[in-house]
Amino acid sequence: MEKPVQAINRYKADLRDFNFLLFEQFKLQDLCGKAPFEAWGEEEIRSSLTECYRFAREVTGPLNAIGDATGCKIENGRVIAPRQFEDAWKKLYEAGWISIGVSPDHGGAGAPLSVAVLTLELLAGSNAAFAMYPGLAHGAGEVIAAFGTEEQQHLFCERMFAGKWGGTMCLTEPHAGTDVGSAKTTAKKNADGSYNITGTKIFITGGDHQLAENIIHLVLARVEGAPPGTKGLTLFIVPSVRTSPDGTLGERNDANVASIEHKMGINGSATCVLNFGENGKCIGWPVGGEEKLNQGMPQMFRMMNGARIAVGVQGVAVASSAYLNALEYARERKQGSSITHWKDASAPRVPIIDHADVRRMLLDMKCRVEGIRALAVKLAFHRDAVSVYGATDEKVAVYHQGQVDLLVPLVKAYGSDQGFRVCETAIQTYGGAGYTRDYPVEQYCRDAKIFSIYEGTNHIQAMDLVGRKLGQAGGANLQSFLGDVSKFVAAQSSHPVLGDAVKRLGKAQEQVGATAMRMLMWFQSGNLGMVPLSANRVLEMMSELTVAWLLLDAAVIAEEEKKKVDAGHPDFAFYSGKTQAALYYARNVLPGVEFKGKLLEEEDKSPLDIPNEAFATV
Amino acid sequence: MKILVPLKRVSDPDNANKVKVTGGKLDASGLEWKPNPFDEYAVEAALRLTENGTNTKARVGEVVVVTFGPKEAETTLRAALATGADKAIRIDALDDALDGDVVARALKALVDKEKPDLVLLGKQAVDGDSNQVGQLLAEYLGWPQATFAASIKSNADKALIVSREVDGGALNLKLTLPAVVSVDLRIVAPKSVTSIHTPATHTYPDGVRFAALMAIMAAKKKPMTEVKLADLVTDAATKIKYTGFELPPSRKAGIKVKTVAELVEKLKNEAKAL
Repeated sequence: MEKPVQAINRYKADLRDFNFLLFEQFKLQDLCGKAPFEAWGEEEIRSSLTECYRFAREVTGPLNAIGDATGCKIENGRVIAPRQFEDAWKKLYEAGWISIGVSPDHGGAGAPLSVAVLTLELLAGSNAAFAMYPGLAHGAGEVIAAFGTEEQQHLFCERMFAGKWGGTMCLTEPHAGTDVGSAKTTAKKNADGSYNITGTKIFITGGDHQLAENIIHLVLARVEGAPPGTKGLTLFIVPSVRTSPDGTLGERNDANVASIEHKMGINGSATCVLNFGENGKCIGWPVGGEEKLNQGMPQMFRMMNGARIAVGVQGVAVASSAYLNALEYARERKQGSSITHWKDASAPRVPIIDHADVRRMLLDMKCRVEGIRALAVKLAFHRDAVSVYGATDEKVAVYHQGQVDLLVPLVKAYGSDQGFRVCETAIQTYGGAGYTRDYPVEQYCRDAKIFSIYEGTNHIQAMDLVGRKLGQAGGANLQSFLGDVSKFVAAQSSHPVLGDAVKRLGKAQEQVGATAMRMLMWFQSGNLGMVPLSANRVLEMMSELTVAWLLLDAAVIAEEEKKKVDAGHPDFAFYSGKTQAALYYARNVLPGVEFKGKLLEEEDKSPLDIPNEAFATV
Repeated sequence: MKILVPLKRVSDPDNANKVKVTGGKLDASGLEWKPNPFDEYAVEAALRLTENGTNTKARVGEVVVVTFGPKEAETTLRAALATGADKAIRIDALDDALDGDVVARALKALVDKEKPDLVLLGKQAVDGDSNQVGQLLAEYLGWPQATFAASIKSNADKALIVSREVDGGALNLKLTLPAVVSVDLRIVAPKSVTSIHTPATHTYPDGVRFAALMAIMAAKKKPMTEVKLADLVTDAATKIKYTGFELPPSRKAGIKVKTVAELVEKLKNEAKAL
């Protein structure tokens, strides 16, 4: 008989690390109290994280396995998300966590992004599938808030931010995935200024569900006569239920779900095929009105930047809970004796955390989770600095925005890649138990796989990095970044505990600089095949450099703070953990940066040289 | 109805293994603080008595939360304000200088000033587990008291019916206000608190309510006042004198016995359990 899935929370987070990042490493308190964050202080931030964590454990967390087991289904042409999500949706919007970063003009709390990425981590980590529904509604609302006409903002934003209406982003078509410019959905103008939308979109997250009374699709479509490629795409607002300007709901808008995907993970999240205008009655309006035709891609990118950060955060969110669950298991599960008693069959059994290889896996997970979280908060902190200094100091704002642009592909791709790998290591830590549904890590692993694929595959992120971001602003953003690392290396290379690791960081920094030059040379010399072949590796090198830097920076702070507390103090252990995580990463991961740089110099082209028919004989 | 809810912050019971004893004194450094769970239940019950459950934003009474502690203890009060309490008072004091009796006498003085209709508090704090303050306070005030309330009915504003769980059933007490009531954990069950302001059909979610983000942000605009302990009690001497603290001895490793006879022998002669 099938075991019933119970509403038990397995989600865990280490808020001490969250608070360390915000208040000890990045010093968010220096931005707090300043416009636009006047309402925010340390106490509000700590209370918000504590309360949001409670929400994650008590509301969304207990539904994680249930959503996975129940999945979504179609009844009478409508998608039914897991029933238990209805109550969670209502509670989530009552509590207000999704719109924590939304401007108060649209009913949000206007929190710094540094805080919003951490509340997102709590929600996505406790239930990745559920968090997709409000996440997409929020992202679509942000696009309308940024580009919509005044009437569109008035009609849609607050309703979408308050959870009354949901939202989606509709880019992908059956033949237009990564190649979004070949989209075939069309828009034909009507006499009243609206457009008739016709086409099919696939992989639409939250494309239909019963949690909100209306779902506002943002649909990329080509107006008749518009140029081919991405330049001819317009973003349309297509409500699933037609509305009058005061928000009263009318008849359905001929935007219908054709089917839902059956997936490896995030099974509680409805991934839909949507047909627009099957009966010729699907009406939409261009975001921003008639003068914004063919602006679909830049508008969509606004949403995608936020969404890419969010996906990187999803990666660390799920990985973090996988790590903390594996840690709990390793502390309790007894198996084998200490290796010092290996000849004595009657030696006492020890918890597996006492075994060297388990400790290696635990520390490996810890440094990746904490390092990627630091990377995400660093990006968010730069974004918050733009918000604070943008109006008064252009130079400072340009620097911070440049770092945001540079870090987005790193957060998305490294966060999602490593997030999945941490989940895999967590299963390995459990052993056979981790492969069963009695423990949460197998679901985490299945859920996490999609993160490296959607929102632009990680190769797209790597191409964004090497093709756009490294050379952006004439390479100034990269130069500032490498300069920041240099300053840290210069200041800390004779640190008594961390000095050797910091010197190694310096070498990796030089290597990343040299590799960036090599990429440029490949571009200039027409050696274009090497660019996509190397892009993922370059992104990885740069991510590892950044994560090592942030972990070492944290360890420098931790070493100082550790002196202020005695050995029995809980913070003493916390700070010791910071040092060991940084040392482990610097000794075991960071040296790979130099090595990978050397590999790139060899210009291996075997994947290009191998004939198609040589891959296999079948 | 005006309700006074005394709150205590306690060291996080989940981290009890981090408690240290230095020089015969409890060392509170590095401990994480949480509101005493029973006091959180009292706040929840007080909120339910002073609102219409179907529209909790419109208050129909007043809840005043009070705690004893240093400046940092205001975090505990703010958390209560964020869930809906209307105003907070911090009585400036250090834990070391307090016992249940001083707290009860200071609360009596505060009650004389604030004039609440009801004092609602947790049956005990989960750190010292003394279970004294409610009873002492009722005595000092000369008010009726009901302890360990599992449900409260407020049909008219001048009286309460309090149900307490006893062996073999429930004991219902009718109290004329003003009164002191201490609560047990079942007070936060969905139907445990009924009042004239909330339709009988309304069901609360089980447990203590969440603080909404906007309420957390608004909490700092709610009134928070500080009172000196000396302004409430002229004689701040404690009745309980702590002579020392020590951690329980760590458990010794067990041994395996070979025969029942050996077990009996050890139980008799070593453990002296027989």
